[in-house]
Amino acid sequence: MAKIPLSIAKYIRSMWMAETIMTYLHIDEQDNLIAWGGYPQHYGLDNLATGKSAIEQINFLEGLLNLPHTQVLQFMRVKEGRCAHVHIIPLDKGAWVLMFDATAEHERQQVMQQQLNELSIFSYRQSQLLQDLETAREQLVEEKNQLEQVSELKSKFISTLSHELRTPLTSIVGYTKLLDEAEQADARQANYLVSVKNNANHLLSLIDNVLDQATLEAGQVVLNPNSCELKQILSDLKSLFFHTAQDKGLVFEINIPVTTPVRVIIDELAFRQVLINLITNAIKFTEKGFVRVTINWQDERLEFAVVDSGSGMSQEAMQKIFTAFHRESTAKTLPGAGLGLAISHHLVKLMEGELTVESEIGKGSVFNGFIQAPIAHSMNLKDEQNKRSQLGATILVADDSIDIRHLMEIYLKEGGYTVSSANNGDEAIFLAQQLKPDLILMDMQMPVTNGYEAVKQLRRDNFTAPIIALSGSTLTADKNYALEVGCDHYLLKPVFSKELLETIKPFLNNA
Amino acid sequence: MIQKKICMIGDFSVGKTSLVARFVRQSFSDKYLTTVGVKIDTKLVKSTDGHDVKLILWDIAGNDTLTTAATSYLRGSAGFLLIIDGTRLPTWESALNLREAVTKQLGEKPFIMLLNKADLTEQWEIDQELIDEKVQEGWILLKTSAKTGLNVEEAFSELATQMLKV
Repeated sequence: MAKIPLSIAKYIRSMWMAETIMTYLHIDEQDNLIAWGGYPQHYGLDNLATGKSAIEQINFLEGLLNLPHTQVLQFMRVKEGRCAHVHIIPLDKGAWVLMFDATAEHERQQVMQQQLNELSIFSYRQSQLLQDLETAREQLVEEKNQLEQVSELKSKFISTLSHELRTPLTSIVGYTKLLDEAEQADARQANYLVSVKNNANHLLSLIDNVLDQATLEAGQVVLNPNSCELKQILSDLKSLFFHTAQDKGLVFEINIPVTTPVRVIIDELAFRQVLINLITNAIKFTEKGFVRVTINWQDERLEFAVVDSGSGMSQEAMQKIFTAFHRESTAKTLPGAGLGLAISHHLVKLMEGELTVESEIGKGSVFNGFIQAPIAHSMNLKDEQNKRSQLGATILVADDSIDIRHLMEIYLKEGGYTVSSANNGDEAIFLAQQLKPDLILMDMQMPVTNGYEAVKQLRRDNFTAPIIALSGSTLTADKNYALEVGCDHYLLKPVFSKELLETIKPFLNNA
Repeated sequence: MIQKKICMIGDFSVGKTSLVARFVRQSFSDKYLTTVGVKIDTKLVKSTDGHDVKLILWDIAGNDTLTTAATSYLRGSAGFLLIIDGTRLPTWESALNLREAVTKQLGEKPFIMLLNKADLTEQWEIDQELIDEKVQEGWILLKTSAKTGLNVEEAFSELATQMLKV
């Protein structure tokens, strides 16, 4: 490097000294301050006294004098937000302490470091939050799995309970009906029979409602919309309630406009159940006057109303009317579990409709509802005519309940069929192979080999005749499983003569 | 008068500056302002055995490791406070690493571990098991809060006592 003139060097030195606001302190080997220069006040070092302990006057020197190497303390905060770089340089005897202003540099570093630290804390909190969310998600999945297990247990319980209750009730109701129809009883016995029949029917209705509610709550109900004849449904309902209404001296009417389509696509069972519940309720709470059902079909919507001139209800009661197990205080002397309207409300919702109520105490009630009901094409008349009866066909009844087997035999024999019976799945398989029946009526819950396994085996053995499942389970899953393993139809207990014969007839015609 | 230099060691944002502010000026601010470099304060304390001790407090910029700059600040220190933020578990691990590095640098010196932000119990992330483990190793640990002042005076006073024993 070429020489720089002394005057320039002096100029640069003065600039640098002004910018760094340098201060120097000279300390002897006894740690006393012996000299100082520059701007010590700038760094808060006021009233420095030579000949006295440097450490006592300058706090930061504690422990740093008499070290063998130069010490550099960067960014030492001093007074009024100022900052210095401090160099402690050991000498043969004593030390120099040099201080340079670093305030501006410190400010820049401080802004940058602040941002970095805040970002780091934010990232940490965010990761913790994500971890918490993941933990919460895992807990929810675990809870969901537990709930699903509980739900599955509940479904199994419903299925078992349903079967256990419906099977003996099928016998009770069926045999009572047979006795009633036999007309051999005297007046007193006939009265007993009426009482048994009414109470058994009531018990059956209660069980149906409780199980339906449980099935609905478990989300197990899947609708099965099919083409059905609306007028037939309403005619059946009229027959069903005519005598009950008449016994109470009520006018019972079902009005259906002539413009209503003959066939619509709805879940017939669900729709029947809704109307049965509404009409039962209306008759129950009406002492005089009328119960009127009106039907109207428009734009693929089936509207219905059940109007009565009964006791009516308060605003408060109306708010709870569709709640399961809710019973008004006035209704507590009447039979029922408080489920009919809740079930109807739920079923109507499932059928993409709505059920509402209007009522006033002493002025009766109006239940208005609608469901989706697209129009269906009529059945081909020729197909209907082509159907021929297969009376005399052989039917195998498999059921572990001897009462049910006998009852089914009676129904089927009255229908003109030849009947054989088996009391478990193995027997059913054996007899099916031997007798080659035209149709099997198979109970699904039997000991040894149950109905599902028996049907599977039969289908594996190329048994092609129709098999109709007979079951006490209301669960859609059980019904679907029965159809999946090879059943052609699913009949729910209790099954009575008319329903049984009407169900099997088309299968034998098509066979 | 006895004069002792002590250093505040710990990760960033654990509350070192706030503890000094509480101890020296009885003040507290919720606003976080990061420290760059070092800030020196002094305060007179009485050790538990009655000596007046002038503490020179070196509040060193927080970091999870010991930087070269921090190494030079440590020289001449008679003891240190090792501080963690009880609401951030990683600061516990940083403190353990820092303690090891400081000991390598200074040799065995008296220290106290402060579990700071004890007022934020609902966000606490340090298990009692970890604390018990260190207590069993003979460490002195104190739950502190610069916000409420919990154990702040006690921490400095206890460290002064420990330093005088050496």
